[in-house]
Amino acid sequence: MTMTAVFAPVGRATLHVLATLGGAATVFGRVMRSLFPPRFDKSETWRQLFHVGVRSWPIVAMTALFVGAIMVIQTAYFVRRTGATSFLGYGVGYSVFAEIGPVLIGLMFSGRVGANNTAELGTMVVTEQVDALRALAIDPVRYLIVPRFIAMMVMLTLLMVLGDLFAIVGAAATAQGLLGFDWRVLIANLVESHLLDELLMGVVKATSFGIAISCISCYFGLGASGGAVGVGRATNHSVVANATAIFLLDFLVGWLFTL
Amino acid sequence: MTANDLPASQVKRPLLARFGAPVIAGYRAARDLGRLFVDTFVAIARGRASRKQVFEQAFEIGNRSVPFVVITLGVLGFITVYQVAHQVAQILPDFSMLGAAFIQMMCREFAPTITGLMVATRVGSGIAAEIGSMVVTEQVDALKMCNADPVEYLLAPRTLASGVMLVMLTVVGVVSATIAGMLIAKAGFGIPYQTFLRFDLVGVSDVATGVTKAFAYGLAIPVIAGQAGLQATGGSAGVGAATTRAVVNTSFAVIVLDFVLSGLAYVVFDK
Amino acid sequence: MSVRIAVQHLTKTHEGRVVLSDVSLEVRSGEILGLVGPGGHGKSVLLKHLPRLLVPDRGHILLDGRDLATLSGFDLARAREGFGYLFQNYALFDFMTVADNVAFPLRQERSAASADRGGEQRGVASREQQIDLRVRERLAEVGLERAYHQFPRELSGGMKKRVGLARATVTNPSIALYDDPTAGLDPVTSSRIFALILAMHRKVPGCASVVVSHDIDRMAAIVDRWIVLEHGTIAFSGLRADLLRALASAPPDGLLRRFFGDPAALPSHVTSGATA
Repeated sequence: MTMTAVFAPVGRATLHVLATLGGAATVFGRVMRSLFPPRFDKSETWRQLFHVGVRSWPIVAMTALFVGAIMVIQTAYFVRRTGATSFLGYGVGYSVFAEIGPVLIGLMFSGRVGANNTAELGTMVVTEQVDALRALAIDPVRYLIVPRFIAMMVMLTLLMVLGDLFAIVGAAATAQGLLGFDWRVLIANLVESHLLDELLMGVVKATSFGIAISCISCYFGLGASGGAVGVGRATNHSVVANATAIFLLDFLVGWLFTL
Repeated sequence: MTANDLPASQVKRPLLARFGAPVIAGYRAARDLGRLFVDTFVAIARGRASRKQVFEQAFEIGNRSVPFVVITLGVLGFITVYQVAHQVAQILPDFSMLGAAFIQMMCREFAPTITGLMVATRVGSGIAAEIGSMVVTEQVDALKMCNADPVEYLLAPRTLASGVMLVMLTVVGVVSATIAGMLIAKAGFGIPYQTFLRFDLVGVSDVATGVTKAFAYGLAIPVIAGQAGLQATGGSAGVGAATTRAVVNTSFAVIVLDFVLSGLAYVVFDK
Repeated sequence: MSVRIAVQHLTKTHEGRVVLSDVSLEVRSGEILGLVGPGGHGKSVLLKHLPRLLVPDRGHILLDGRDLATLSGFDLARAREGFGYLFQNYALFDFMTVADNVAFPLRQERSAASADRGGEQRGVASREQQIDLRVRERLAEVGLERAYHQFPRELSGGMKKRVGLARATVTNPSIALYDDPTAGLDPVTSSRIFALILAMHRKVPGCASVVVSHDIDRMAAIVDRWIVLEHGTIAFSGLRADLLRALASAPPDGLLRRFFGDPAALPSHVTSGATA
């Protein structure tokens, strides 16, 4: 009796995870099929690019600002302990470009765009708009999904770069304002640290996050059922799956770069 | 089609209105949020949160989030130790402080904040979806008609449960990350467990900072998510929008609180 | 027969559109007031203003002579205790059983709790027992005593409406508001619901009921006073006798005729105990 009690939830959870993975992979496959050769709605893609970009850049910029600030404060502890003031620029740069930046910006993007995407698609499904599209012989993948996929992948990559810039600004401001550390020295240290590799890794992470977030959020959105409650539930599951995916991809890309 | 579908350049509004409107809207939103916080805390202080509900919510928020927290913080521990050890191995092959520094950073910064973000994601969207659905199906109106204040009935138990549970989840997070880090340190770099598992850098200030952050995040998330839910309008689209708003606002709140509390901790403990 | 609620020059806009425009009416004790009109013209919005679930942009709503806008949060909650509200989509709490749903307003009654403080010794248990008795009684009256332990999601639409009705009337309110009580229900269930509305109305002496519905035929059997709302304004207001007179002289393609049809075909009225 207790055996089932222990294994049933684990089994259920595993099946749930596998279902999500499979579902997202299926979406990815269908997107790929519509990309090579390119057969998707171009104007809808531009519209999505605009929407996603406009909607998410303020929150990403603000998040990056604070992330830079927080990392300066945390790195300052070590700098004080070891006295290696030149480490401040390097430490902040490394953590922001390579690790904390991509993850936090990815999470905010997942919330702002991913959740929104699931909610939009979910609403369309429960109000039978997707069925209506099919009845008009319009392929939902080409019209709905591929544009969103492209938009999210491209935008998150660009926003990562923007985020890096804002993070440096936030870091410099905090270094000067809170720590009394000359911001020019900080920037100089940063530049001297040759963090191009880390920057690249951060951008690659961002692109992979964008791909994952779009596939997962589309999967959950299209699977929504049960009216308003169903849409809310789908959005909830979507952001949780996105967050997990972000962490796993973060690990994967990080490991790949060390090879 | 609304004005939002036109490119910004085509929507002609006087410049002052364009800048002024969002500022005023932001001020109003902040004021409403402040009022909601006060109402919620007053309700808790007056003991109006039903004990049964608090325990139910504690289970929902705490126990149900454990797997999620264990996985995400475990992976985070893995990544961080792997990356840092890799760097250290190339610069100065002295791993003696690695574990100690890692655990300290976890306690003070990453465990509370990442756990907070994970809970904001999972619980924040959950609360907004729940309350949002209740709003659009008129259940919140029904509560008012039955002489139940939605803030007392819905928000107060969740806020109290969340504050306490987030602290506990953070502890779970620290443990998960440390164990994961310890494993990869041994497996990838041959660092013995005892070398890694050192607590000498972890001081009272670190623990206090971590606990305060976790508690603050815990109190903020349900109120902010609840506000998003209570403002839901218009069927499934409204619930979806509310859920999205909740995730964004709670996550951002965690980050801002992190900044404020980190700065405060620095000023208090290290200046 | 006193005026319980006086609506004065109520105006409400929503997203730039005028939903209600200068609406004035009275809800009187002992009467069943019928609110009809084309769909989407403001009936539900008007109903929600009465217990101040919505706030007017202009105009006043007086409850027993007091302007609702002047009531503090606490006083408003006390005032709402005298209301019973059946929502359009029944608004049952889907995380509670049927029994808990119906018991909820009783458990929340603060004024009753303070009055019961005397029996606090055996207080809690006996109050719970009393509540349980009332709940079972009310569920039996709507024919759902067997649904006691079930959850709303296990019930059909008609059953949920009946539970909603039970919850709305369990406190024996002196003002009962029904928002489209038979929407989407089969004819047999609809007749049953209206019979229940009449029964609940008769139970509380001097009760004032307001029914919003499209079901003209069933309404005609119980409604004492009619209000026709078109485009957010009152197109007709009067007693049954006034309505019959107006219909007799109304143009055949006018609103009244389109809505009520031939005056001779209007179902006969069952007196609800109201003085004309």
